[in-house]
Parts: sequence; structure tokens; C-alpha cells
Amino acid sequence: MGDIRPEDLEKRQDGRNIDSRLGDLSGEGAQQRVKDTDEANPSRALLRTRPSVSGVNAEEPSYYGQPALKEPVWIWSIPLYFYVGGVAGAASVLGVAAEAVGGEGLRKLGYRCRWVGAVGDIVSSGLLIHDLGRPERLLNMLRVFRPTSPMSVGSWVMVGSGAMNSAAVLFASRRGWLGRVGDGAAVAAGLLGLPLAGYTAVLLANTAVPVWQATRKSLPLLFMSSAVASAGSLLELLPHSSHEAKVLHLFSTMGKVGELMTGVAVRHEASGLEVLERPLKQGVSGTLWKAARVCAAASLALGLWPRRTRWMKVAGALLGTAGAIATRFAMFHAGKASARDPQATFQPQREAMGAAEVTGHTHASDGKPFKFPLPVLRETPRRPERPEAASGAWEPEIPVP
Amino acid sequence: MGQKGFFTDTTLCIGCKACEVACKQWNQLPDDGFQLTGMSYDNTGHLGSSTWRHVAFVERPVPLPTQTVGLLDFSWLMASDVCKHCQRAGCLEACPTGAIIRTEFDTVYVQPDVCNGCGYCVAACPFGVVDRREDDGRAWKCTLCYDRLGEDMTPACAKACPTASIQFGDVDELRERAQRRVEQLHEKGLEQAYLYGADAENQPGTGGLNAFFLLVDKPEVYNLPPDPVVPTMKGREAWVSAGWGALGMAVVALGAVLLGREVVRG
Ligand code: SF4
Ligand code: SF4
Repeated sequence: MGDIRPEDLEKRQDGRNIDSRLGDLSGEGAQQRVKDTDEANPSRALLRTRPSVSGVNAEEPSYYGQPALKEPVWIWSIPLYFYVGGVAGAASVLGVAAEAVGGEGLRKLGYRCRWVGAVGDIVSSGLLIHDLGRPERLLNMLRVFRPTSPMSVGSWVMVGSGAMNSAAVLFASRRGWLGRVGDGAAVAAGLLGLPLAGYTAVLLANTAVPVWQATRKSLPLLFMSSAVASAGSLLELLPHSSHEAKVLHLFSTMGKVGELMTGVAVRHEASGLEVLERPLKQGVSGTLWKAARVCAAASLALGLWPRRTRWMKVAGALLGTAGAIATRFAMFHAGKASARDPQATFQPQREAMGAAEVTGHTHASDGKPFKFPLPVLRETPRRPERPEAASGAWEPEIPVP
Repeated sequence: MGQKGFFTDTTLCIGCKACEVACKQWNQLPDDGFQLTGMSYDNTGHLGSSTWRHVAFVERPVPLPTQTVGLLDFSWLMASDVCKHCQRAGCLEACPTGAIIRTEFDTVYVQPDVCNGCGYCVAACPFGVVDRREDDGRAWKCTLCYDRLGEDMTPACAKACPTASIQFGDVDELRERAQRRVEQLHEKGLEQAYLYGADAENQPGTGGLNAFFLLVDKPEVYNLPPDPVVPTMKGREAWVSAGWGALGMAVVALGAVLLGREVVRG
């Protein structure tokens, strides 16, 4: 506190216009710094409703189409952090496995994983701090431990992982007890790597943003398999020996297969309602999502190509990396779009996909029963059996325009 | 100290915005620019970091049963929106720094000297209330006039409201009063009146709101969610999923090493 003097505020023309000789700035909001005044209309785009028609009678009631939620304020460094943190976590896990059961032949790979983990953790913290509104208060993250907040849990995991990976790097290939401390730290980093790769998805799922909340069961699996794929791809890009290549190839291939499968699961989980799924189909996030899918599939195909040349390996690893990054950005922007759309908030809640999903009550807050969609309506219309086809009287289907 | 809260009776609101002004003035909040939203008489638009009360103007092509209008079927609904000070507050449960606390008055308060601006509360509030101010870097929202409560004073908005649309007091007592008001309105023929978020039974997802409302149309019309849920209630499923993912990752790592190693030896 006390970082703003009243005289400055008066000069700054921030709308307070308090003469510091007559009144002092001691209100609850007086310390709020102002460079530019707020915008009155959050969505400065063209109005989606006619002025003065608030949409009360419409099928989809809303308040002039205004967002019902605040759009997440995070910037590009957050999805990038999701990627880097995932790489660090998955690399630590692979490192421990290599050191534990890989024998002498994979010891070097283990050490390389320690490095990737340590550097990843440091870069991660940098990216996170960059997004903070008050970076100078970064240590407040470790002020408390709050199990209800995935961000609090994750901060502790990341700090722990960073410390362990750094110790593991420092004491790598030392003899005696120092070496053993390093090995112990590597094991701890590997264990912390598991939540490190996955908590970011829990962090997204544990928000009010409709599409993130709706995909809470599959999103962690997507992020974790994508972390495996991206760590594998990155390690494949770094110089490595030929017998390490087999391990890395297996590791990243399994990650990519998982990434593709869980991606389908995410789409399926979001498909409960069209408004929920929309950001994964349309707009910036939809494009990113498609790009991510294509990159992952291409990377997998290149990886499984029978006789792989060197450029194919590099291209495969690069595509795998691009796919993993695009996945995080796609989910990130999908969340922003989802928060902007009031119907994405309202409609699922009306269909008993809000609190009712966990508390099991049957009426919305206005006392109206939920619209439980009839299961019959959700079934894809069954195609008529075609006995005619056998008798030759089969008619060609008319393509729907 | 007891539970303090607001009962906002929107049927009494005349849209004078005295609450908005009183809040800005008492809390010495910066202005939000003199811009017109172009959508209605509501030129505030939304709650935000420097707007802690917001009067919504809903213009409806439907009559209100207790009103007579000259020409068309038409009615205004006005509602002064505010932070709900939820019993289970998404913002509080999400805040990793402990900046958001529950006060002795059972209200939800952001400590500006602790908040580091991580922005998690913004995404976690199911009502879209709290916001991070970009040039300030911290999250801000209604404090339920924490400083005034300490001095045994009524919050500025409730004090300024000329029609007693905003009523301040002990939540228990407010609930009773609100219930009586609903009955009275029903008797008068305003069958639609109901309480939004008065208790955990009405809104299990938030455990009830310390600042609840009397509404006469769907909550969506006032930009309120029909069945809000504190994200933490659903977060457990995500953690379980992450647990399975962790198992899968461990298996994949061990499998890759074991299979890859065997290939080397064979
Ligand atoms: S309405 Fe939003 S900001 Fe207010 S207490 Fe509830 S969760 Fe927090
Ligand atoms: S922005 Fe501030 S108040 Fe909000 S969750 Fe982060 S530290 Fe807590």
C-alpha cells in the first residue's frame, strides 16, 4: 500500500477529482491505479440486439446479449505455460523411469530429463509471473496452501518440482551421498511431474467458464497425454543416441495416440449442448483446435512411417510440438469465447447441467423445473432398413444442401 | 457480528442509480468513462473492477400485472446488481494467495494489499462479478462497505437508495422480510415474484447468497445465471481424472523404457 500519493491521483484526471486539500483518499477503492478509464460496454462490437430489446421474450433470454461471465483475463503466457509445464512434468517422469529401470544405457537420458525438467520449471515460473497483475508480489502465491484452489496446489507443485529438478541437475553424476541426494531429488521431481503435467487442466476445469467446466473429465487426460507427446517430441529434437531413440519414439508415439484419442473425448464431453461445443468448432479457437488435431495426426503418421529418414523424424517432432502448443491455445481461446457467450452459461444450467449435476436438485433458482432433454430427441435418427435395396428398388439418398 | 447482507427488491427499483453513485463516491472509485452503451438507458453495462453496483434496465414488451399502460404491452424491470457474497464463494475458494477472505460479517472481501493479480477469481466467479483492473493489476469487487460496517454504519448504496429497494441487515431477518414481501406481491396479483438465491435450498450450487434478490422474470433477463454452481463442487471430478492420467503417464513412461530397453538388448 501507499504506493500512490493523493497528489498524483488528482493530477491524473481519473474521475475521482478529489482535491487533496479538502478530502483525502482513504476509501476502499482509493488505491486503485488508473491509466485509462474503463469502457462502458464490454463488447464494443456491433450490438447483437436491437437497442431497447433485451431479449426477454426470445427463446434464448439474455440481458441485451451481454456476457454473463467475465472473460478470463489471462494472456498468451498462460497457455504457453501449460505447454512448458507439461513438458517439464512429463520429462521428469520419463527421467525417473529411465534411471530406475533403464540401466546404465539410459542413464544419460535420465540426466537430460533432469535438465529439461529444471529448465522447464524455471521458464514456467517466468511465464506465470509475466501474467500476474502485480509481478512483484509473486511470493504471495506461497503465502497459504489452499486445497480448494488448483492454482494454489499447482504453485506448490511447481515450486517443489523446480527445487527438486534443480537439485537433481546440480548433484547429477556426483559420487557418494551427494549423488544419492541428487537421485532422491530426481525421484521426487518425477513424482511431482505427474500433477505438474495435469493440474493445469484441473485449474481450467475448476472455473465458471462453461466449456472448461463441461470438459472437466477429459481435459486432464488430454493435457497429460499432450504433455507426454510434447516432452517426447522435444527430447527427440535434442541430440540423443540411437538406443535412446527407441525409448523416446515409443514414449512420444504413445503420447500422440493418447492426445488424439482424448481430443475426441473432449469434443464428445463438450457435445452435450451445441452452445458448449461451439467454440471448438468456430472462430479462432475452432481453427486452432483443428490445426492441433491435424498436427498431432501428421506427426503420428510420420512417426509410424516404416523407413524414417532423418528429416521425417525432425518434422514429426516439430509437428508434435506444434500440435501440443496449438491444443493449449485452442482450449484457452475456447474458454474466452465460451465466457463471452451468455447462452453458453444459461442454456446448460437450464438443462440441469449446472449445479444440478452435482447437487441433484430439480428446479432452477426461479423455481422452474429443469428442461431435461428427452433422450429420444438425442438419438440419431435411425436409418430405415433397406429391404428394397435387395429387390433393386433402392433410391439414391438426396444429399442435404 | 452476525451475517450481514443485502436484500435487493427489484420491484421497488426506479433506476435512479443513486446506489451506483453512492458506491463510487464512498469507495473513491475511478469513473468508467462517459460513454453510451447504445443498447438501453443502462450506460454502465456491467459490474467491474471500478463498478461495484450496477443498475440493469430491462425493457420488456410484456406488461406487468400490477401496472396499467396506455398504449402498448410494455414494462420496465430495473435491478441493482452487486456481488452476491456467496455462502460458497467461487472467488474465495479459488484465490491462491488468501487475498480473498470471509469477514466477521460473513461477507467476502478482497484484501488489496495481498492480491497479486493472478486473475483466478475472475474466471471462478459464477456471476461474473469480480474483475482485474488491467492498469492496476489487482482484482476488485464490492466489499459490502467493510469499512462502514466496522463503524456500525449502513453500506453506502443501501443508505442512498430512495425507495428501499436495497435493504441491508442481518441475513436471517432480511430473508423473513423478503418472504413477507413475496407473499404481499402475490396477493396483489404479481404472481411471478420470487426470491433468487435466498438460501441453500433455493440455490444449492452457491449455498445461498448473502446478497439475494426479489425478481419477477427469469434470472437470465437480469443477466443472472439460472442455476449457478461454485466451480469447486465440480472440480473434484477433474482431480479424479488427473489421478487416472497420472497413472497412465507412469505406465507409459515405464513401458517406453522397458520396451525400448529390451529392443536394445535383443
Ligand atoms: S458473486 Fe462472485 S465475486 Fe461475489 S462472492 Fe460470489 S463468487 Fe465471489
Ligand atoms: S487475482 Fe488476487 S484476489 Fe483474485 S485469485 Fe488472484 S490473488 Fe486472489
